[in-house]
Amino acid sequence: MAAITTAGASTTATDSRPVAARTTDAVKEYGKADAMVRALDGITVAFGKGQFSAIMGPSGSGKSTLLHCLAGLDRLTSGSVHIGDIELGSLNDRQLTMLRRVRVGFIFQSFNLVPTLSALDNIVLPLTIAGRKPDAAALAEVVRITGLGDRLKHRPNQLSGGQQQRVAAARALASQPEIIFADEPTGNLDSRASTDLLDFLRHAVTELGQTIIMVTHDPLAAAHADRIVFLADGRVVSEMHSPTADTVLDVMRHLGD
Amino acid sequence: MIGISLRSLLSHKLRLALTTIAVILGVSFVAGTFILTDTINATFTSIFATANAGVAVTVHGRPIAGQSGGVGGGQNHPIPTSLLATVRGVPGVNDAVGSLFREGATLIGHDGKPIGGNGPPTFGANWITDSAISPYRLRGGKAPTQPSDVVVDAGTAAKNGLTVGQSLPIVFLGGVEEHFTITGIAGYGSSDNLAGATIALFTESTAQRVLEGQNKYDSILVSAQSGVTDVVLREHIAAALPSYAVAETGQQAAAAAEQSTESTISTFIGTPLLVFAFISLFVGSFLIINTFNILVAQRTRELALLRALGATRAQVMTSVLVEAAVTGFVASILGFVVGILIARALLSVFGSASTGGVTLLPRTVVIAVLVGTIVTVIAASLPARRATRIAPVAALAEALPETQPLPRRRVVIGLVIFVLGCAALVTGLFTSAGSKLQLIGVGFLCVFLGVALLAPVLVVPVATVLGWPVAQVRGAPGILAGQNARRNPRRTALTAAALMIGLALVTCVAVITDSVRVSTNDAIEGAFRADFIVFTQGPDFNTQAAQALQQDPSLRDVTEVRGTSVIIKGSSQGIAAIDPANLGSVLSLSMVSGTASAIAASNTAIVDSTEATASGVHIGQLVTFDFPEGANVPIRIGGIYTANALVSGYVVSIATMAPNVPTERDAIVLANAANGVSLSQAETALHHDVKSFPLLMAMSRSEYRTFVGASLDSFLNLIYTLLAFAIVIAVLGIANTLILSVLERTREIGLLRALGMTRSQTRSMVRWESVIISLLGAVLGLAVGLGLGVAVSGSLGALGITEIAVPGENLIVYAIIAGVFGVVAAIFPTIRASRVDILRAITAE
Repeated sequence: MAAITTAGASTTATDSRPVAARTTDAVKEYGKADAMVRALDGITVAFGKGQFSAIMGPSGSGKSTLLHCLAGLDRLTSGSVHIGDIELGSLNDRQLTMLRRVRVGFIFQSFNLVPTLSALDNIVLPLTIAGRKPDAAALAEVVRITGLGDRLKHRPNQLSGGQQQRVAAARALASQPEIIFADEPTGNLDSRASTDLLDFLRHAVTELGQTIIMVTHDPLAAAHADRIVFLADGRVVSEMHSPTADTVLDVMRHLGD
Repeated sequence: MIGISLRSLLSHKLRLALTTIAVILGVSFVAGTFILTDTINATFTSIFATANAGVAVTVHGRPIAGQSGGVGGGQNHPIPTSLLATVRGVPGVNDAVGSLFREGATLIGHDGKPIGGNGPPTFGANWITDSAISPYRLRGGKAPTQPSDVVVDAGTAAKNGLTVGQSLPIVFLGGVEEHFTITGIAGYGSSDNLAGATIALFTESTAQRVLEGQNKYDSILVSAQSGVTDVVLREHIAAALPSYAVAETGQQAAAAAEQSTESTISTFIGTPLLVFAFISLFVGSFLIINTFNILVAQRTRELALLRALGATRAQVMTSVLVEAAVTGFVASILGFVVGILIARALLSVFGSASTGGVTLLPRTVVIAVLVGTIVTVIAASLPARRATRIAPVAALAEALPETQPLPRRRVVIGLVIFVLGCAALVTGLFTSAGSKLQLIGVGFLCVFLGVALLAPVLVVPVATVLGWPVAQVRGAPGILAGQNARRNPRRTALTAAALMIGLALVTCVAVITDSVRVSTNDAIEGAFRADFIVFTQGPDFNTQAAQALQQDPSLRDVTEVRGTSVIIKGSSQGIAAIDPANLGSVLSLSMVSGTASAIAASNTAIVDSTEATASGVHIGQLVTFDFPEGANVPIRIGGIYTANALVSGYVVSIATMAPNVPTERDAIVLANAANGVSLSQAETALHHDVKSFPLLMAMSRSEYRTFVGASLDSFLNLIYTLLAFAIVIAVLGIANTLILSVLERTREIGLLRALGMTRSQTRSMVRWESVIISLLGAVLGLAVGLGLGVAVSGSLGALGITEIAVPGENLIVYAIIAGVFGVVAAIFPTIRASRVDILRAITAE
């Protein structure tokens, strides 16, 4: 069932599907001299298009840092990040902003929504920022699958946590980005709401061919992914395809040792 | 708990910085005003003390009822020179000298222009030969002995390059130049000068001639024989005086002079400046309320935790108030220091003879510190009360609650205060009671408070309207700017209200000046028929000019217009006198009843309809004019006319006024071009005639209109300058609110940046929020200012303000400037916003 590669430094997409994002020898250091922390310690990894990938690891393993660097929210100390054919290190702030705007969607753990805007306005916010008109049919489809229907005119504080995260997911989908980055998207949700959201993300990958890269520490959440990359101490330590909650727990237990 | 306040204060010092600046500006204005007036007063005190050193007793005429006081002579009954002998005969008198000291001797500088312009008074006096009594101390040259000799004060001499031996032209009472020779330079007491005024000293007979005080003195200065005290001597002299004269000891005289200058200074400098200082503080208090509101909101969890741990409401309240008190205290001290600088700057502008130092009274420090601290604490008490209402459970709450809807109670209170303010204002404007100014002041204050309380209701609709075009032009940043301006209506309203006050006052003054302008123009077009007007910006002038113009064949209908004060029905009133023969040729009064030429009959007046209604006067009635220096004269009302901006009140013939007024002074002289002489020829001739009168100006009707307009513009500019403090504070307030909002919305801005908002879009978002807040302030300010301006202008009917004009162009300019202020206020906040660290914003838990 689960194919586990407990390989060393280099991990690539095992099948031949095209690569959506990749890093080469990614190093990220924080602080200076004595207080220096190496969050990423030479990571080379690739994420396939149309795949639901998860990044897992214990606290401090560098999983969030990897996601931020992949998404153009943070810069590497050395090494390179590509989204498609674009190398992020060579982009200035404005170009990075444009890249996030056009090619990337985000779902954060919390505080995903602008409190003054309605759910619908939040969904189309990236398009509004870009000065683009939302594609009516695509938007209707996104809204339909979120199941928010009658709550679209509500402000975020009138929505439940699960509904808020589904609005965030709908927003990430609405601009039809190349990749959606999700940073602990279920971290603040109960198990019911988590399952709804993950089903929704799974659906987006399977039915719409969306690429999703998700950081999580929840094995149940990771089990929805096609593939899991395990990090520890800033390195890729393991990888798993077609995971289940049990197999994920096994690996996590080993990493904990 | 106090320790917690202080620690909180230190950790928020950046956030409190702008509050501090607001308090500093307000307090510095207050302190600066006090220091300025104290310094000027101290200058006079020392001048009077040294100048009167040798004077044991001063004799002067009783004050004439209905005449205002001042530094110079002329308001008291004059004293005949014969009284000098009487005083000299009193036992114990060592020596007595007569002093004539009056305004109206204008020195003409080397450039041919009047020295001092229309600024400080220009005194003329007789040289006092007894140097033990005289306040004048010869510094160089010699005393005047010949009719053409003059001694000038050392300060004026030094400033204008006047030296002994030079010829000096002098103009008396607006007349023609006379040439004198400077024989000496003198000090006034130990100072060079009487605080900026010019003093020209002549022989006694010359002084009496040129100052029109033939056989008269203004006072008699007496020195005592040794062994005779001032008090005893005063009693002896007083017993020998006729009823129109009084005796004071030298000390009393100096004290009276001090008091009179002090009250003059406080009326013309101190009080107006303090009004504007308090406007600045009032505006600053809005900024303080906002800052503490935001700080309390940001500290909700911390304060709730303290409550959960057992702190009482009183302790929470105290912790906020202590923070306010310390902030206010520190800012007040700094404000006091800035006040010293402001006072120094103003002293150098006034060109006063101050010797560099400023007078710092303990009272000023106390007032500055108390005012700054109390204003800060009172303003912070509203947020402090809110802090006490934070429930301990809020410590556990996930997110800060969104703003609550505006309580109905607040709307009701706002409406009540607003309506009371309007009532006080209208009552104040249309009453003639002594409390008029207080009522108007309270009215303005309540109107501003009421509108500020009601403003949150207006924020959503107004910001929606203002935000719409911004959203269309600027897209997402524009939409979000509008949303952000609306999201906390109270904060936005309070921020905008601070700007509203400044703009409302500017608008109000602009409406009033424009009403005066339009009414004056109407009067010039309508009531004013003369081709030319001759006038001065100084005191009224003698009849030499009118006589000279009457000789000019290019002119006809040369008509003197005189003014004086009389007491009518117990209150002092200005009346005008004109030659009835020319009245119809130079003025066209619109009569309600009777005819203007009725004044040709002796002791007959016409009066304007507003005044007639106000004092219940009708045609044919006899009204008693009490001429202060003449008789009580029954005057018959011969006609009632409609007031205009140039002519209002009672008008009589010169023949009626002249016997009751000892001096002949013209306020203006009107003239027409002679038959067969073109306007331009006549104007050339007129200008040629007036050249001999350096203080007078001659203008055609259109020139006069331009001149009035320019005077009103410079008045408006003065008001702009004085309100600049309040407006700067309001702009700081906008910057303050935005900075605190940006800090509060760090995560939101980080999210927007992550979602693809560029730095420049982020800046644009904050900038447009600022512009919307400013324009909200402008909308409120223009609306309130228009209301106030129309109300005040409407109450000036008695002054002939018949038209109420709205200076549309000015108002548009104000709105545009308000928008620009918004952009300026946003400079720092936009930088803050665009530098938000995306990662920290979105990962912060």
